[in-house]
Amino acid sequence: MDATEFNSASTGSLGTTAKTVLREAGIGIALIVLIIVFSLSTQHFLTSSNVTNILTQVTINLVLSIGMTFVILIGGIDLSVGSVLAFAAVVAGTVMTLPGLDPSVAVMLATASAVAAGILFGLLNGLVSAWWGIPSFIVTLGTLNVARGAALQVTGASTIYSFPAAFNAFGSQTIYGVPVLFLIALLLVAVGWFVLTRTVFGRVLYGIGNNEEATRLAGHNVFFYKVAAFTICGAAVGIGAIIYMARLNIASPIIGIGFELNAIAAVIIGGTSLNGGRGSIIGTLLGACIIGVLANGLILLGLSDFMRQMITGFVIILAVILDKYRERLTKA
Amino acid sequence: MLELADVRKRFGGVVALNGVSFSLRAGEVHALVGENGAGKSTLIKILCGIVKRDGGNIVLDGESYEPHSPADAKAHGIQVVHQEFNLLPYLSVAENICFEDIPRKRFGVVDYKAVYEKARQALTRIGLDDIDVRRPVETLGVAHRQLVEIARALMGESRILILDEPTATLTARETERLFAIIDGLRAKGVAIVFVSHHLNEVFANCDRVTVLRNGESVMTADIADTTQEKLVASMVGRQLAAQMAEIRKLDASSRIALALKNFRHPASPHADGVSLDLRYGEILGIAGLVGAGRTELLRSIFAADLPLSGTLERDGQPRSYTSPKAAIRDGIGFLTEDRKEEGLILAMSIAANVSLANLRKISRAGLLDAGAETQLTEKLGKEIKLKYGKTADPASTLSGGNQQKVVLAKWLANDPKILLLDEPTRGVDVGAKAEIYALLRGLADKGLALLVVSSELPELITLCDRILVMSKHRIAGEVAREDFSEERILSLAYKDENNHGRH
Repeated sequence: MDATEFNSASTGSLGTTAKTVLREAGIGIALIVLIIVFSLSTQHFLTSSNVTNILTQVTINLVLSIGMTFVILIGGIDLSVGSVLAFAAVVAGTVMTLPGLDPSVAVMLATASAVAAGILFGLLNGLVSAWWGIPSFIVTLGTLNVARGAALQVTGASTIYSFPAAFNAFGSQTIYGVPVLFLIALLLVAVGWFVLTRTVFGRVLYGIGNNEEATRLAGHNVFFYKVAAFTICGAAVGIGAIIYMARLNIASPIIGIGFELNAIAAVIIGGTSLNGGRGSIIGTLLGACIIGVLANGLILLGLSDFMRQMITGFVIILAVILDKYRERLTKA
Repeated sequence: MLELADVRKRFGGVVALNGVSFSLRAGEVHALVGENGAGKSTLIKILCGIVKRDGGNIVLDGESYEPHSPADAKAHGIQVVHQEFNLLPYLSVAENICFEDIPRKRFGVVDYKAVYEKARQALTRIGLDDIDVRRPVETLGVAHRQLVEIARALMGESRILILDEPTATLTARETERLFAIIDGLRAKGVAIVFVSHHLNEVFANCDRVTVLRNGESVMTADIADTTQEKLVASMVGRQLAAQMAEIRKLDASSRIALALKNFRHPASPHADGVSLDLRYGEILGIAGLVGAGRTELLRSIFAADLPLSGTLERDGQPRSYTSPKAAIRDGIGFLTEDRKEEGLILAMSIAANVSLANLRKISRAGLLDAGAETQLTEKLGKEIKLKYGKTADPASTLSGGNQQKVVLAKWLANDPKILLLDEPTRGVDVGAKAEIYALLRGLADKGLALLVVSSELPELITLCDRILVMSKHRIAGEVAREDFSEERILSLAYKDENNHGRH
């Protein structure tokens, strides 16, 4: 009996390692297939200007998705990111256009205030949902409205522009065709990946997502970690707001509508489970790229906006169905 | 009318049923008894189509019986009243009772008049005519809910009725009423399977009894031809007891590791709570029936639930832990009863599970050291004879016994001084059980203080130096090693049970 037990355990291990690798590889393969299909079917897809274009479009969603990954990993969700992005942007825009500030000081202060605004809402989401045990779906649905209202109130529903020229120029700079803003997003990917896979903090987040009670009984302050995950998400939104302003050179209270759904879609397509505990930042990076490539490729194919929207929707559903099969594979 | 032969079922690495044979005649009440984990629930789930058997035959009325779903089982006339309630709390009593076949008018509109009438009839049939069928179920007490559940099960034309621990939540008066209903059904030729922990009920109301042990049916007898002692003996088995009988020498002068005075869990109805002393090197057992407050005691020591009142002294110093974290820092470990819900993170690796309670040890400035983690896991794995493939494999790939060892390793990695163990061998097969016993004894020999809760009396008798018996959140008595016997422990555990219903 002992021998068979040992055998079954070791064959199981080979299988599961292969499956874990396959999970992320699968998303990567899907991305590559998309790229091949689009580059064969359209002339412009693989041109350097179009690649720059895609990367620029992916950037903001990617930054929001990184924060969203932390929240979804602990079994939560954050619906407020689009509204908070607008709020953080108008706060930062107001700071940046204060009269009499040196441009570089203005940009630094604005960046700090955008991140602070994001963190504020992240804290609010985390504290309320963790303290009273309210599903984050409901709490963030509330802050979605609060942040949007606050952004409109602060600005009187008007758009802020005329930022320092150097700031506006920074947003469209590229290095070898790669937008600088995308490089910043990649840096955040690296940081997020490191935190989730190499630190005690990340390990405990996975623990909470998988089995909150076992993690609590192992001596971890679950409340702290939950609030922290939402706060990280908020901080990412703040950074996203600054990136948005650098790219489009405006800050408006009506930006970011629906961004939360794109971020959630990127995380889910990237293989992170909505139930928490399973997934990775690398998956999220691939997921965000799939959404960006799909949107761009479909435009080049000459499809209408409406068709694109339908196709993107189907892809999200398809990703979740595929995830169900992956789950079954890992369990069997 | 129903014949089971050599029915088998495995869940992953755990054998749940290992050859159960059992027959049921029309118009009889057949008791199914056995310890927790003996396989009663699995057997019921197979009969009502929730899980599929791996092997063996089931014959119903001369034809092979293969239920694919609960609906299929019902179509064959088999109804089950489950231990957990399956009622819809916000719907009315009547809607619940008629839920499987709601009377309707044209266009699918619910015919409420007929619903209420049908429900009233169903309740009258079981002698319950004092509740308003329009009330939502959530406003009823547990006893009434149980009766509503029974009324619902009897709605269909059932020929076989399975009752899983139906009296666990009933008071004496309602229990009597239930047995009157059962008598009536028996007279109509319905066959009844009655699962219970209460042997006196079995002897008072059943015609035959089958005993399950470790997933096997070990005896079937007419009630008239057997005795309570014989049943208990075949429920627990003697093998294991003999195997582990050698007596440990205990140093009675060793220091007290943990002392409780009037320690009270929020669920305890008594202000006097629990008082006990636990010494280094001692294995102290806690026996008692399900619901006696044993798990709650361990949870409140560990601050998984905060105690309501009373004092806790650790090495003679008063402590009040505010979280499991504080208890762990003070050298306490807690192996929980429900491994999958509270102990183990199945989807995460063995190494991650082992290190979960002491990530500090394998990290520096918050950064994990994967090498140190693997080393720690391998070292502990060797100590506890863990059988595994790689430390990176998910814990779900292990058998039940090895999963339990991983949970044990998680706590041992912390160098605890006190271990609280709740049902340490639940869902573990016999071979692994003996290994875990040996491990625990070794730990006590090293000077650890162990507090063990178990529903399996032979386990406590082989393992412990002393046994406290709990009943209704209080210590009902203490049994010293010389006086260990199942009869003595059971009589203490049942002490308050005799007044069942009069509290």
